[in-house]
Amino acid sequence: MTFAERMLHIDRRIIFLVIAVCTLLPLLYPVGLAIKVSPEVRGVHDYLESLPEGSVFLLSMDFDPASKPELHPQAVALLRHAFKKNLRVIGMTLWVTGTGLADLVFSQVAQEMGKVNGKDYAFLGWSPGVGALIITMGQDLYKAFPSDYYNQPTRELAVLKGIQSLRDVNYVVSLAAGTAGIESWYVFGKDKYKFELGGGCTGVIAPGLYPLLRSGQINGLIGGLRGAAEYEALIGRKGRAVAGMDAQSATHFAIIMLVILCNVFYLFTRTSRGQSGQPRG
Amino acid sequence: MPFETVLGAWVATGLTLFIFTFLYQDNPLFKLAEHLYVGVSVGYTIVKVYDTVIVRLLYEPMVKQGDWSLLIPLGIGMLMLARYVPKIAWLSRIAFAFIVGVGSGLAIPRVISSYILKQVEDTVRPLVSLASEGGPTFTYNLLDPASNLNALVLLIGVVSVLFYFFFSVEHTGPVRVAARTGILFLMIAFGAAFGYTVMARMSLLIGRFTDLIEFADPRYGRASLWLLVATVATLIVSSARRREQPPGGG
Repeated sequence: MTFAERMLHIDRRIIFLVIAVCTLLPLLYPVGLAIKVSPEVRGVHDYLESLPEGSVFLLSMDFDPASKPELHPQAVALLRHAFKKNLRVIGMTLWVTGTGLADLVFSQVAQEMGKVNGKDYAFLGWSPGVGALIITMGQDLYKAFPSDYYNQPTRELAVLKGIQSLRDVNYVVSLAAGTAGIESWYVFGKDKYKFELGGGCTGVIAPGLYPLLRSGQINGLIGGLRGAAEYEALIGRKGRAVAGMDAQSATHFAIIMLVILCNVFYLFTRTSRGQSGQPRG
Repeated sequence: MPFETVLGAWVATGLTLFIFTFLYQDNPLFKLAEHLYVGVSVGYTIVKVYDTVIVRLLYEPMVKQGDWSLLIPLGIGMLMLARYVPKIAWLSRIAFAFIVGVGSGLAIPRVISSYILKQVEDTVRPLVSLASEGGPTFTYNLLDPASNLNALVLLIGVVSVLFYFFFSVEHTGPVRVAARTGILFLMIAFGAAFGYTVMARMSLLIGRFTDLIEFADPRYGRASLWLLVATVATLIVSSARRREQPPGGG
């Protein structure tokens, strides 16, 4: 067995170890690589920045704990930005398994920014139906959510004063890990009730959402941990996402090197088999 | 630090490490974490659905506010349970027919409008722009999504990929060229999707490692370090016991 063949049959646990080391070292000893902000992330930031104080911002956290590493930093950065701008913030989720996590993010960031539940923000929690729920919210917010997550009647919440339906919401951002998520908000919400819509998503579903971005169906897209880091850089509050960018770059470099090496070894084995007269493939 | 926070850190760290052990080999720790994950997810979902749907959206409005019109959706929903009684199982079809009918009615027009009409509208863009002086011009900036060059690339991509999936005609001559071009566009799309997927998976790993590093702090009782030692020890014992067992033995 040649060296190239041995390399192609290497125990995959060694590759796991390489990736683990490439991830762990930059987290322990960060380098601080520069972060360039993309236009799609800037789209969400600039629209939120342009909203006057007291505008209504709805953040739908459509993910569960499995996507926390990517979408939690996005949620934290968006909430910090919205609270700093003194917007009236409404939180909710279309994913039943994400309710507790969404509540935790809202209460932690609100406490950090000195905001009060019911006065500065409201967390409505989860309600079933996805498309039907969004349509009901477009007709009457209080029918869709008669009470908030803490079982307070929504009609009595000061932060919702003057808001009757989605038509009164200035900006909706859905942080999505799949369906239900950004597409649901566009299909059943924006297309009918004409509010502005932005999105944040996991890296896996980001390529599928770019067509919506290009066509103007969403005005911005925060993609994965990278997008979260860009948003953190834009608001000047570096958090978990920025801290993870060095590790992200290191692992990407390691994976690119592994792909190149595998191809080189594969070519070597093909060449050596061709020279020895063995069948290829 | 509150006790529940420290306890949560220990549970999170332990389960993360248990799941990671699968990268070495299948073992009882991984099985434990996997079953816990499934059980907790299902349990949480049942409780949330009961609290939100049964209590808040049905019971409270009916009993406390007297909104008895909710008996209609409740009745339709109850029909679904008829599936468990063979003699009246046919009643569940009414509920399913209602759901399929309403769901289709809500979704079809909206999906056609959002995904087909709007996307077609965006695909068919002018290939030549009007310059400020009024004459036609062609913009070449690849980084600008609205440039004419990108509109041309988009048009070629859409048409060639459609040709690739057009099976009524044999892929020879010009059709073959178009289909081959379509494959190129598809490969680029798959590559981009795979790249994003790799990025996403690495982000998840970074997220877990960030937590593990945080929980290695003395404030959390060095949960990561102690549990790492315990996990490795359990893996060694598990491997040793596996070697001792005769092949094919239970």
